[in-house]
Amino acid sequence: MKNLAVFIDSKNGQISESSKRLLDLSSSWLVQNGLEGIYVYGFEEQSSDSFNSFSSIKQYIHITIPGLVNNNQVIAPLLEDIKQKEIDQFFYVKSLLVDSIAAFLAESLSIPLVSNVIKLAKVSDGYQLTKSIFSGKATLTTEINNNSFIAAFNKSFTFETTSQAGNLAISQAVIALGTDAQNKLIENYPLTGAIPLPDAAIVVGAGRGFNDPSNWGIVEDLAKELGAATACSKPVSDLNWRPHHEHVGQTGVKIAPKLYIACGISGAIQHLAGVNGSRKIVVINNDPEAPFFKHADYGIVGDVFDVLPRLLNKLKSH
Amino acid sequence: MKILVCISVVPDTTSKITLDSTNTRINSEGITFIVGPYDDYALSRAIEIKEQTQAELVVLHVGSSDSDALIRKCLALGADRAVRIDTAALDSYQVAQEIIHYAKDQSFDLIMMGKESIDYNSGIVHALVAHGLSYNHFSPVMHLELDANKLILEIETDSGKSKVSTTLPAILGCQEPIAEWKIPSMRGIMTARTKEIAVISPIHSNFEQHIAAHVVETERLQKMISAEDAESLIDILKSENLI
Ligand SMILES: Cc1cc2nc3c(=O)[nH]c(=O)nc-3n(C[C@H](O)[C@H](O)[C@H](O)COP(=O)(O)OP(=O)(O)OC[C@H]3O[C@@H](n4cnc5c(N)ncnc54)[C@H](O)[C@@H]3O)c2cc1C
Ligand SMILES: Nc1ncnc2c1ncn2[C@@H]1O[C@H](COP(=O)(O)O)[C@@H](O)[C@H]1O
Repeated sequence: MKNLAVFIDSKNGQISESSKRLLDLSSSWLVQNGLEGIYVYGFEEQSSDSFNSFSSIKQYIHITIPGLVNNNQVIAPLLEDIKQKEIDQFFYVKSLLVDSIAAFLAESLSIPLVSNVIKLAKVSDGYQLTKSIFSGKATLTTEINNNSFIAAFNKSFTFETTSQAGNLAISQAVIALGTDAQNKLIENYPLTGAIPLPDAAIVVGAGRGFNDPSNWGIVEDLAKELGAATACSKPVSDLNWRPHHEHVGQTGVKIAPKLYIACGISGAIQHLAGVNGSRKIVVINNDPEAPFFKHADYGIVGDVFDVLPRLLNKLKSH
Repeated sequence: MKILVCISVVPDTTSKITLDSTNTRINSEGITFIVGPYDDYALSRAIEIKEQTQAELVVLHVGSSDSDALIRKCLALGADRAVRIDTAALDSYQVAQEIIHYAKDQSFDLIMMGKESIDYNSGIVHALVAHGLSYNHFSPVMHLELDANKLILEIETDSGKSKVSTTLPAILGCQEPIAEWKIPSMRGIMTARTKEIAVISPIHSNFEQHIAAHVVETERLQKMISAEDAESLIDILKSENLI
């Protein structure tokens, strides 16, 4: 039994909520499975107190990226580091960047990579990994009889913690990835929305029921008040009422927030495919027969132009 | 130029997923299977590139002969020939190992896949294959232009969108709006009948995995709140720590 590696996501030095939960899970997992320690890998510098509330962390390794990360040569320095550290298991919360790194590690180390893990358990001759499939419509539990594996966690993962004392100062290191001669960045178009949709803990979605792009003010106001990201259905982005990257569903972004509030959206199966992973769903629609109500935790049959302003008022009055 | 498109075969997006009596398998009765929607985008763009450059276009599927009719449809759309690796696709990792084994000495210049399959949604097969073959890798790709021996791509990233250039050989995971889905022509359907679907044996992957349980998602609460009382929603959400 050796070490566990955890890749974390952070912005401006702040570790994301899902990565914090993953570190919590990892500390408990370590104790339950007799692993030695945790190596944390990330893509930003971290202050020494970032890890105060987590235990058993051996080192934080800051990976610096001079260019793009889209081929083997670039990632090779990281592999060298990992090989020295005797790491058996790798955990991360799904992201495009780490997916690519994890795939490289899986191939180079010949260990399985399991995606969309929501639950993890030790069994007598291996591990049980439960993953979310069919965009959250079902789960699948597989057993792997291999001590080494990479688990890519879906944001909606669950776990039971055993409480742990925190680490004080932990050691830090830096690894530079290689430069990429073949792949070149031409231009970046950062997301404009205040809160990036795939990361949002709360999402307010709006559909064709809003009739016209000029009616989106109330959606944005509500989202702002809740600290939520805005989303839309596909016809809304097809009509150019909202930007393409806001469209959720089978052909758009898949979200797994703790709360999804769907307003003026009928609940077509292709839309549900992108939002099934939400912990709780609220549906507001003026048609009591709208299929979305069958997939809602809380439903309100009403006009969005009446209900949304009242919800906003109530929120503001608190 | 030689292009490979890898297709998954998945339940139609409108299917209601249920389990069979063993509770470990999806009940396939009454389900219509389709080529994965993202894979269909990859194939559509590959066909356009083939028409533009006279490239050879091969379609690959890891799965049983149940998928042959859908593979035939890809041939009708314009692929030159198809390869089927004859084993059940259980997992993205296993599928990737099969594709790597097949493609490693085939010298494809460009391998196109969907950004993710819609059954397992791993979004990882293309990345695994790219690293297994030491190809350049990008996903999800929304636009693809050929520029001499370079590719100009528009991709989604964790923080937005980027425009990048890459060199061949490369592997791409595709999503809309990279191309419009295509419909086979009568002539395409006729010529597809004589095209080859080569069936090759699997290698079987190097780790054991079996399905222990399959659970269809629990039902939602479906609690209704009357419109007059809409404000009470806020109290409920607060009490559940959702806001
Ligand atoms: C292959 C394929 C892929 C697709 N992928 C996606 C996808 O990724 N994402 C996606 O969203 N869709 C997708 N679709 C489209 C999907 O089938 C639906 O057409 C779409 O989701 C409907 O969007 P909507 O609910 O906004 O519009 P509508 O179906 O027009 O519904 C509008 C709803 O608003 C309600 N409404 C109207 N006025 C009000 C009001 N004043 N107050 C309250 N409610 C009101 C109506 O009762 C209705 O239920 C896909 C379709 C196909 C065929
Ligand atoms: N059984 C399969 N045969 C061939 N290609 C596949 C298969 N499964 C997945 N793929 C390809 O890999 C992509 C990503 O799949 P996944 O990693 O499972 O989400 C899909 O969009 C397909 O292009």
